[in-house]
Amino acid sequence: MKEQLLSILNDLRPDVEFEKEEKLIDDGVLDSFDIVSLVSELNSEFDVEINVMDLEPENFNTVEAMLELIVKMQEEG
Amino acid sequence: MDFISATFVVFVMILSAVYFITPKKAKWVVLLLGSYVFYVFSSVKLLFFLIFTTAVTFICGLVLGNINEKQKVYLKEHKNELTREQKKELKNRTSKKKRWIVAAAVLINLGLLIFLKYFNFIGGNLNSLLAGIGIEGHIPQLNLLLPLGISFYTLQSIAYIVDLYRGKYQADRNFFKFSLFMSFFPQIVQGPIARYDHLAHQLYEPHKFDYQRVTQGVQLILWGFMKKLLLADRLAVAVNFVFDNPDPHEGFVLFFAAAGYGLQVYADFSGGMDVARGVAQVLGIDLALNFERPYFATSIEEFWRRWHITLGGWMRDYVFYPLSLSKAFANLGKRTRKIFGNYIGKKLPTFLSMFIVFLLVGVWHGSSWKYVAYGIWNGTIIVSSILLEPYYEKFLKKCNINTECFSWKFFQMMRTFVLCSFGRFFSRGISCMTALNMMKRTIINPNPWVFFDGSFLNLGLDYKDFYVIFIFILVLLVVGILQEKGIRVREKIAEQNLYFRWMLYIAAVVIVLIYGNYGSGYSASEFVYQQF
Repeated sequence: MKEQLLSILNDLRPDVEFEKEEKLIDDGVLDSFDIVSLVSELNSEFDVEINVMDLEPENFNTVEAMLELIVKMQEEG
Repeated sequence: MDFISATFVVFVMILSAVYFITPKKAKWVVLLLGSYVFYVFSSVKLLFFLIFTTAVTFICGLVLGNINEKQKVYLKEHKNELTREQKKELKNRTSKKKRWIVAAAVLINLGLLIFLKYFNFIGGNLNSLLAGIGIEGHIPQLNLLLPLGISFYTLQSIAYIVDLYRGKYQADRNFFKFSLFMSFFPQIVQGPIARYDHLAHQLYEPHKFDYQRVTQGVQLILWGFMKKLLLADRLAVAVNFVFDNPDPHEGFVLFFAAAGYGLQVYADFSGGMDVARGVAQVLGIDLALNFERPYFATSIEEFWRRWHITLGGWMRDYVFYPLSLSKAFANLGKRTRKIFGNYIGKKLPTFLSMFIVFLLVGVWHGSSWKYVAYGIWNGTIIVSSILLEPYYEKFLKKCNINTECFSWKFFQMMRTFVLCSFGRFFSRGISCMTALNMMKRTIINPNPWVFFDGSFLNLGLDYKDFYVIFIFILVLLVVGILQEKGIRVREKIAEQNLYFRWMLYIAAVVIVLIYGNYGSGYSASEFVYQQF
């Protein structure tokens, strides 16, 4: 799953070293355009329904946080 | 009561003194009373509107909070009995119920704002439209007054309601405390637009007198006074001179007026924010940052991320994200993919949402077509720059242009400055047509000789005024560069010895008193954003 996520992220922003970043949102590395594209990709790739309520910085600041969110979404069905 | 006035300074001093000597439990009451005293002194006739919005938001918030609580308790009690589908079904049912409450609160609060701010504009345009097809329109023009801060506290109230709908936090159950959140005096005039989870607990908690915080707050207030009185009100003289009668002017004089207006608004608005944040800091409260050196931005998109940050954040969370991630927009994207291809189809929902956001930001500034044009100007630049980015990058590679050096960054900053300044023709021009005409005359007849023939000295400012403007912009630039490098200027000042610090404070006060641009009776002009 992590590989898949990293591949989506790298396609989206090839200029960012995602595994090294710890504040992707707080430091403004990902902007709102990136987030919308990312959420659409994640929803279709992982068959989840990330919606506007989940768009909190802590869910997108790191790759691990995004993975956690995806797993949580998949568990909730 | 104006921020930039002796009355306000005395008011803050008395309020702070009372706040710090009041027992812990009653400190928030001092802030509430102080905030209402401030509002009464500023806009007593329209106090009702603030109380009304506060009451509607509080009641709807309570209902939402109760629904959230009930659902939480039910889910906890029936944790093991309910299947995943049943839980989902319950959440959907509750969401539907909550949506009605949100709709009611938004309709009432936003409806009031739209009625007071846009009724005459909409009515006037409808009358003209009807006249165009031969029908006489009878929508009257009403004498409506805009309550102080309504454009700010309405957005704050909507954020609170939507956050409760989203279950972000619990509802406030104390009407008087909630009234303080809605009316806190430093931010009621022109923001920053606060979020409940960031501000409310700070207002309710007691804060002790902290010398360091008080001095840093006072520094920020003084800095705000300097921006407003040395730069904004001085630039306003020349800007008003040109924009009130633009016909005799051409080229660079017009551009100077537009760019000057941009700088004037920056100094005026960010100066006001510094005063608001400084006053709050004295009381131990941190208000959200509203400006992050916007003129260092290298694109219009970045400019808007650094300018009026709390409005941008509000638009992002309550308009941009909900729209661009909505099913309707996703379907639109899918349909357009078939027509325009994958790239545009994928981006279209985002572009459309962004465009709507900029239209709203434009219209939020006022009820006039020129603000619609201002929104279109910014939205078009941002959307087209993203759309053209791949081609632009190819072009730069082909031309072998180094984009990692200072000169390139400087070029990008200048380009952003020019584009922003041209946009100001719309926001300051008397009408949309005047703005377009001024733009045209700036480009067609630039007339660089105005730099040498003394034309700038005929705009209501003398050379001494230009010296003050130039020196203060230089100071702003140096402070900005230091802050961009991560140096906290106020903390650096606090590290200096007592004599130097006090010399600096006294010098700042003297500079404000001597070089400040005061109107008749030594009163400063109104803040630009106060009128929104």
